[in-house]
Amino acid sequence: MACELAAVRTATLAVRDWLAEKGLPEMELGGWELALAEAANNAVKYANARGRQQPVTIEVLWGEREIEARITDHTAGFDWPDKAELPDVDAESGRGLFLIQSLTDEVVYLRHRDQNILILRRARPPGVAEPLPNVRQLQSQLADTEAALADMTAELSSSYESLVALFRYSSELGAHASLKDFSQRLLKDLMQITEADRAVLRLVSPDGKKLEPLLLLPDDQQFTLKPIRLAGAPASVEISAARKQQDIWFSPEEPLAGDDPLRAAIPTGNGICHPFFVANQLVGTATLARSGEDKPFAAAQVNLLHSFIDFLAIQIVNARLLDERTSAQITRRELEIAANIQHSLLPMKIPACPPFEMSAAYQSALQVGGDFYDIIPAGDGSLLLVIADVMGKGVPAALFAAVLRSTLRSMPQLFNQPAELMATANRILFPDLTRVDMFVTALVACLDPHRRKLLAANAGHCPILLWQPGMAQAVAYGESGFPLGIEPLTRYLQTEIDLPPGASMLLYTDGLSETRNAAGELLGEEKLIQIFTQAATQTSDTASGKQFLLTRLNDFRNQAPMTDDQTLVFIRHTA
Amino acid sequence: MNIQQKNDQTTVVTGLQELVAANAAQVRDDIRAALPPTCLNLELDLSGLSFLDSSGLGALISLHKTLRLRDGIMRLIKPAANVQQILELTRLHRVFEIVR
Repeated sequence: MACELAAVRTATLAVRDWLAEKGLPEMELGGWELALAEAANNAVKYANARGRQQPVTIEVLWGEREIEARITDHTAGFDWPDKAELPDVDAESGRGLFLIQSLTDEVVYLRHRDQNILILRRARPPGVAEPLPNVRQLQSQLADTEAALADMTAELSSSYESLVALFRYSSELGAHASLKDFSQRLLKDLMQITEADRAVLRLVSPDGKKLEPLLLLPDDQQFTLKPIRLAGAPASVEISAARKQQDIWFSPEEPLAGDDPLRAAIPTGNGICHPFFVANQLVGTATLARSGEDKPFAAAQVNLLHSFIDFLAIQIVNARLLDERTSAQITRRELEIAANIQHSLLPMKIPACPPFEMSAAYQSALQVGGDFYDIIPAGDGSLLLVIADVMGKGVPAALFAAVLRSTLRSMPQLFNQPAELMATANRILFPDLTRVDMFVTALVACLDPHRRKLLAANAGHCPILLWQPGMAQAVAYGESGFPLGIEPLTRYLQTEIDLPPGASMLLYTDGLSETRNAAGELLGEEKLIQIFTQAATQTSDTASGKQFLLTRLNDFRNQAPMTDDQTLVFIRHTA
Repeated sequence: MNIQQKNDQTTVVTGLQELVAANAAQVRDDIRAALPPTCLNLELDLSGLSFLDSSGLGALISLHKTLRLRDGIMRLIKPAANVQQILELTRLHRVFEIVR
């Protein structure tokens, strides 16, 4: 029927006559006449500009147990209440939906883009005699049935196809190299099933601020899509769809805005942009289009788009969760490895070196740093003391500590010339350290038990603290040169320190002087010197001196977490 | 449709066949235009009315209100069974004065 009120009357009368011919009783005829009139009136009254040019169709099916009518409208669609209420008695309108619901057993309203279908069903009263059909009627009925059957088969096979596809995707998910490959495969199939020739898939960036392009199909395009900010880009149909949380359609009549970034991919044609969510969180947008064709997607195709993309959304979220878990596992494993390396570098046992006595401590912060110390017998009774801090964390820092340790150990002939040893180690390590942008602060010292002296060279490391009997306070020793890995040809000064009986000495890393408390206050070198002085004067051996130091540092930290490794070597002339 | 003045105070409408979306507004306006200012009784003869939809109901309510505003009354005369059913379904049989 034409989209006019007058045509409604003619059409409903025609249906009434047809139903009467079928033998429907008078009472039922009136009900159907009114229900159809109300439905068709609404379809006419609320038709949009385009809809007024299109016919309103009424199809009626004479079923075995019920009668079904389908009224197709071209309106913006109605919100069907579960139960329509009558308006105020004085109201001159608003009874249509109530009448339709009252006069039928079941109302289904399918909303599509510019076409909606209202399905009305009502049981057929029993005992309505089927009039005997003639042969011609039978033939035409058979043709109708065959056509309906063909439609159903097509619909069924398309559903089957999509079901099979989804199952196949599920099983193939693990086999695909990447989420992108998987998405591409799925999107290509979806395009084929929905007869689309363009597809754009965007995902929300990890920071949640942008929609980043993942796929643009077909993939032979000469350009690339850029990320679009969710907070901006008012012209973007993808952003609007994401914000409104609903599908947005476009067509030659209502094309994409001129400055819509999507226009580069889909200049013309019909399309639909579907934002997808998992647990109310935006995951991305999928846009399907038929460029250059004036045929919008049918309802079944839109349903396919929804099922495919919602399936994909869940896979994307799963894959991301898996990634996060894996990388967290890798990080944890890496820290374990680093910690193992680091501990393996520390001397198992401190060699005896009378009249000197010493204790060492290594305390690792949560994140593994690059501290290490080493104490190596030189063969002539002296010891090489090494304390170093590789700037960096994790496995790389631990590996460099290992390399430094081996490098130093490979040059015993230089143990009694610490400055030369340091310069040589720097030359050897410089290229590698530079390549990975790391550097090492180190202090190497030769403890000579015969001359009761210490020869030291310092590469950017903390000074040596020394206390001798008679001193009110310990002093910091050791001119410092560049850390290892800064300058290839650095020379180091050699400091010679006398160690008379009763003298105490501390080699440490900046984890000690840079201990922080919960208020964020730094301990500082001054305070460390005070604590060391107390340790030197108030304890009788290095084990208790070391413990005194660590306890006082712990007290200062006062429950605040340790932020850096703490390493120290405490030496005392016991004689 | 036929609109007759029975007397100064009474107007009778006969020959209504259908009151539907297509003609409801026109019928309402025609009747209202024909009502003399003195009219206090509007009688709509519905005996020939074969079909009434919600738009038709709207027209009836509109006329009902017009009469009530001038302290008059609208009567629906002899509606057919199907029309009476629609009036009952929409509970308007309690609002209109229906003469069987």
